[in-house]
Amino acid sequence: MTSRDYSFSPPTEPNTATYRRQSYANVTAGINTPTQQESDLNAMSSAGTGEQESVPSTAGHSRHHSRAMDIDDREAQRKNIKDKETRDPYATKTYVDDHLPFFTPSYLRHSRHVQRLHRAYEERLTQAREEALLHPHKEPSLSTSSSNVNLSKMHASHIHRPAVQDVIERLPLATADDQSHPLPSRWSEEDKMNGLDILADGTEIRFVGVTKTSDEAASTRTDHPMPKECGLYYFEVTILSKHKDGLIGIGFSSKKANLNRLPGWENDSWAYHGDDGYSFACTASGKSYGPKFSSNDTIGCGVNFRTGTAFFTKNGVYLGEAFKGIKTDRLFPSVGIKKPGEHLRVNFGRTPFIFDIDRLMAHERQVIMRQIGEFDVSKLHPPDDENTLIHKLVGQYLAHEGYVETAQAFAQDLHDQRQSLAANTQSSSLPKSEDDIHAIKRQKIRKSILDGDIDKALKYASTYYPNTLEEDVNKDVYFRLKCRKFIEMIRRLSEFNTATSSPTALTKSIDSLASNGFESDAQMELDDQLQREASTSAELLPADDVDMDISQELPPKSSFMKETKLLDDVLAYGRKLKHEFGSDPRQHVKKQLDDTLAIIAYPNPSESPLASMLDPQGRVQIAEEINRAILVSLGKPASAALEKMCAQTQVLLDETARKTGNASAFVNVSNDFLRP
Amino acid sequence: MPSHDSLDRKMDDLKPSKSDINWVIMDYLVSEGYPGAAENFARETNLCSPIEIESIRDRVRVQTAIHAGQIAEAIDLINEMDAEILDTNHVLHFHLLQLQLIEIIRGVLANGQGRSVEFRPAIEFATAQLAPRAPTDPVYQTALERTMALMIFPPEKMVPEFKELLDVKLREKVATKVNRAILESRGERPEAKIRQLVRARAWAEAESRDAKVDLPPTFDIGLDGPEMHNGNDGDVMVL
Repeated sequence: MTSRDYSFSPPTEPNTATYRRQSYANVTAGINTPTQQESDLNAMSSAGTGEQESVPSTAGHSRHHSRAMDIDDREAQRKNIKDKETRDPYATKTYVDDHLPFFTPSYLRHSRHVQRLHRAYEERLTQAREEALLHPHKEPSLSTSSSNVNLSKMHASHIHRPAVQDVIERLPLATADDQSHPLPSRWSEEDKMNGLDILADGTEIRFVGVTKTSDEAASTRTDHPMPKECGLYYFEVTILSKHKDGLIGIGFSSKKANLNRLPGWENDSWAYHGDDGYSFACTASGKSYGPKFSSNDTIGCGVNFRTGTAFFTKNGVYLGEAFKGIKTDRLFPSVGIKKPGEHLRVNFGRTPFIFDIDRLMAHERQVIMRQIGEFDVSKLHPPDDENTLIHKLVGQYLAHEGYVETAQAFAQDLHDQRQSLAANTQSSSLPKSEDDIHAIKRQKIRKSILDGDIDKALKYASTYYPNTLEEDVNKDVYFRLKCRKFIEMIRRLSEFNTATSSPTALTKSIDSLASNGFESDAQMELDDQLQREASTSAELLPADDVDMDISQELPPKSSFMKETKLLDDVLAYGRKLKHEFGSDPRQHVKKQLDDTLAIIAYPNPSESPLASMLDPQGRVQIAEEINRAILVSLGKPASAALEKMCAQTQVLLDETARKTGNASAFVNVSNDFLRP
Repeated sequence: MPSHDSLDRKMDDLKPSKSDINWVIMDYLVSEGYPGAAENFARETNLCSPIEIESIRDRVRVQTAIHAGQIAEAIDLINEMDAEILDTNHVLHFHLLQLQLIEIIRGVLANGQGRSVEFRPAIEFATAQLAPRAPTDPVYQTALERTMALMIFPPEKMVPEFKELLDVKLREKVATKVNRAILESRGERPEAKIRQLVRARAWAEAESRDAKVDLPPTFDIGLDGPEMHNGNDGDVMVL
């Protein structure tokens, strides 16, 4: 159990964490405790695979109970929030799954495909949470006597089984199959030979049948094939128990291979056999490959879709390439055994592997990165070479985003470079085009937002681009900007409250308060001034010296008066906001409005569950949205070539990986190129 | 073509975040030495910059000297920064010395009358600095021979591979190598990520076409913007 497997789960309470370890220890030790495992198994298999399992009655009761606990908890929380807001409703045990069915094998943590699966899983989880919150009262309450009776008999773990999990079980898992290509997670209950018992959440198999002929055996396959989109797939099988005359085959096969013989012997199946150490590729005559294996050995099997090869490992030692030319689609991990009592356990990456597959993966990725590093870019935008192309991409991005001064400095730096090369004598001054004028205007709007001065931004926007924010397509942007203003007012209010305890900071705070976010006489003057400028002069650029700071000259009033005034202003603006947008029927508008207004309930917003709304990062986001809206209204593309290029690259990689599982599967644009 | 529309839609979903792109830009400006732009960018994006502009300027001074053909000065600057760079990287040192020889020859070719006596300083430099290194590696030897040939052929009769040596692009190449070596010596990534990103874009397209993924015949990177196209009749018109 490593933390990274569950790294996305919200913090759990100590007792659940302890349980998780215990239960896992049971699984690893191969201890079979049916009741407990059955319910865990239900949670895993249904959420992970979309199969509906019949739910044992005890588990059913436990769920009822947990949901009742759930309601209780929420009520307790509501009270809590009123007193002191320290608990995030999502961060409590109520919503945390002990056995999150999703796991990322460590060697696939860079994989785009697995990240995508993970995201899809999380979306389902969020959906389930919302559902649970929306309909909490539909479920039976704690007063049901049978639940109570059962409760006392139950293992403590059941108390923590969350309602969310049950919701997930009932969610239609439309994406789980054809399109999303999930990772194999367990041996299949259907795709197996009679005489095999599937145990421990589908991670163990045991032979309980009889075989008549010498070549008869019992094999099984996993619930899902190995996705080519991973590029490389690896799993390990530990032999818990082997009969002295037993035969064990470990490998992979397509659905075409019969399951009444060992994998490797059949068409479309490949495997490594323990009795002779031979490898078998779709034929009953094998080739000498590796050592024999027996009880307590761990055999790893890896398929590289890029090279069409497969290899095995024994107890962490690489045994070399076993097969090549593997082109078959939809291959499932597969194992076969044939003697009573034979017992295997598989690891699909939920826990660390014995073999250092991470290193092999890293090597694989290095090879591909080197290949990319040597690739010629001259066809991308002829006749530009790599340097010229990058200069253009960077320059265009800076201009597009309205980073005017950077763009100019960059052009100047490039010019200096050319000068020193004395090769190119282009004029050093940037042509002052229409675009530059717009860029400067956009930059002012951005700067105001980044400084948290939403009023100033709104005024610039309505002066320079009077129609843009009124357009229907920009309704949401306008709404978010207005919400941001409320958040900035809250920010200042709380800064002010903090500042009152330190007199030196106070004056500064008052000044900034006065100049930001509040309708004052000075602001009205500013309005007029901007209007005058807009009407009298067609050339708006000198508006640089529009004095946005006039209001700072306001004499500071007493801090108490000020605070009351501030609070009044915040409340008045909140009402205005509610009035303006409260009638919007759209769900996301409602939600954001509610969340925004709710923040006023917290005396110390920066430590409340809504603290993330105060994050200055939110300014960046809204500034970008406005920038984009203006660009589109000017008939420009919404994104710069550099952004487009990233998206194109990822689409190309995704499409190719889906089709062939080749080198593209090993590359991940945001992990590999957009960070150190 | 509906399938290509779906490509467009997927691309909309895969837009990188601005902060990722801003990181790439900053990484590039710092790594390749655009101090003015880096400073402005840190300010305009509200990125608190952990970078030391001065350390960029150091590298830019070296680059500028190489671009200007002041190789001796560049070597001094590099040694001031970290003498180990050239001590341990013999190939790089050789490239710099070769460039220095080329610059001496260039000066004679540009200003002299082509009399052989004018080449004496060049020959002296080659004998003292480059000749002792030549036997250690055949690559050095070839490079030295070619460079010396510049003194023999008149420029108008020179074959392209010799002429290349006189192209100022060679200064750029050497400057880039030096910059990487300095970055590496400081334990930093020797190359800006944007380079690999651009190559990955070209590589990914080639891989897709090899794999016969259904793509539009041309896949524009969008650098020229819609204003370069005449959208009315769908014809692509480059202005």
